[in-house]
Amino acid sequence: MSAVSADIEPAGDVRQAETKWRRRGLGALAILLPLTLAEISYDSVREWLHGEDLVARDIDFGQSMPFGGSDWRLADLRGGKAGRLPEHAFAVIATFAVTVGDPDLQKQWLGCKLMLTDATGRRWLPDFISGVSLPDGVMNCTSAIFSGAKKGNVITVGETFIVPEDAVKTIRPAVGLGSERPWYLRFQRPPK
Amino acid sequence: MKIRAIGNLLILAATVALSYGMQVSKPHYAELTAPIPIDGAMHDTVRARSFDVRLDKVVFARTLKTDQFGQTRVLTTSGLWAVVTTNLTATSTSTTVADGTWQGRTGLRYHQTERLSYRQDMPPHAVDPGLERNGLFVFEVPPDQIRGASLLVAARQFAPLDAQARISLDAVPTGADGQPAEILPQYDLDAAVPSVQGKS
Repeated sequence: MSAVSADIEPAGDVRQAETKWRRRGLGALAILLPLTLAEISYDSVREWLHGEDLVARDIDFGQSMPFGGSDWRLADLRGGKAGRLPEHAFAVIATFAVTVGDPDLQKQWLGCKLMLTDATGRRWLPDFISGVSLPDGVMNCTSAIFSGAKKGNVITVGETFIVPEDAVKTIRPAVGLGSERPWYLRFQRPPK
Repeated sequence: MKIRAIGNLLILAATVALSYGMQVSKPHYAELTAPIPIDGAMHDTVRARSFDVRLDKVVFARTLKTDQFGQTRVLTTSGLWAVVTTNLTATSTSTTVADGTWQGRTGLRYHQTERLSYRQDMPPHAVDPGLERNGLFVFEVPPDQIRGASLLVAARQFAPLDAQARISLDAVPTGADGQPAEILPQYDLDAAVPSVQGKS
């Protein structure tokens, strides 16, 4: 009898230890699985965040804000009916005065995107409009990147857009740059 | 002991059978990440993720006439030309709609023609929110792939898990032989009203 009980005792200990380790193993899974998922998706999430204009930095009209190594200020926003645009569509020109800080624009302004947003969150990207061109001395983002602008230069960057009539009253110009995403600048409209 | 061994064997056999079944029925990766179809009919607005599309008109023709680089070209085909006119608009952000596919009833797919040079009314169509524009998709299809066909429209050709409008062409009138009721001898692409806007 004593021999039997001597056999059972260590077996019970082993089983207890095994149960304990099994529990620890399961507990570790609960921590390791989310960590693994986070590690696997980290690069994709980072890449996605750097490719999207998600978080707006609002700026009052007349104010400037450092963005992508340069100071951005909304210079003008004007719209009107133009040439052969469809009915209920308006041509809009947005121009920004930019004081160049970091002259490495090819790096800082990579993926430069000028856009218009409205009160409902819709976004318009630049369009070519026949018969409407940018004012003299205004260049688009891509030209600006390769303009050779030096530190301290003030350049005027702008684009033309086509927006529907129902959005014209609430549109606000915005700027997104590869080096600053997911943040983007959103400017208040000039007072009437 | 014997029963337990038999039980284990049964479990093993069931596992093998199940695994084999899963292996042979496993969808291809391309199917798992295929575009998500959104069904619609002609003249209905189909809301895909980034754009809305409405199929307005399908015209069939034996030849296609177009001006390219100042020269008039007449394109022939051993099948039929199908010129599909759609009305497009972006949902929330300016985007492009670049991919059109003609899918016959048996599942055969015909990608939009690449025989035409760049034109503003041909894909990729630049679309803006709140602004409707007409966009053409032109296909060369065999006459027996017209009845029961669908038009597939997507933002890009390879867009895993993105929306794809799948518009049934049941409303296209066809004769008893499955051929379109009306086939023009020639369709002039430049006779249509040209579009006035485009992406810079």
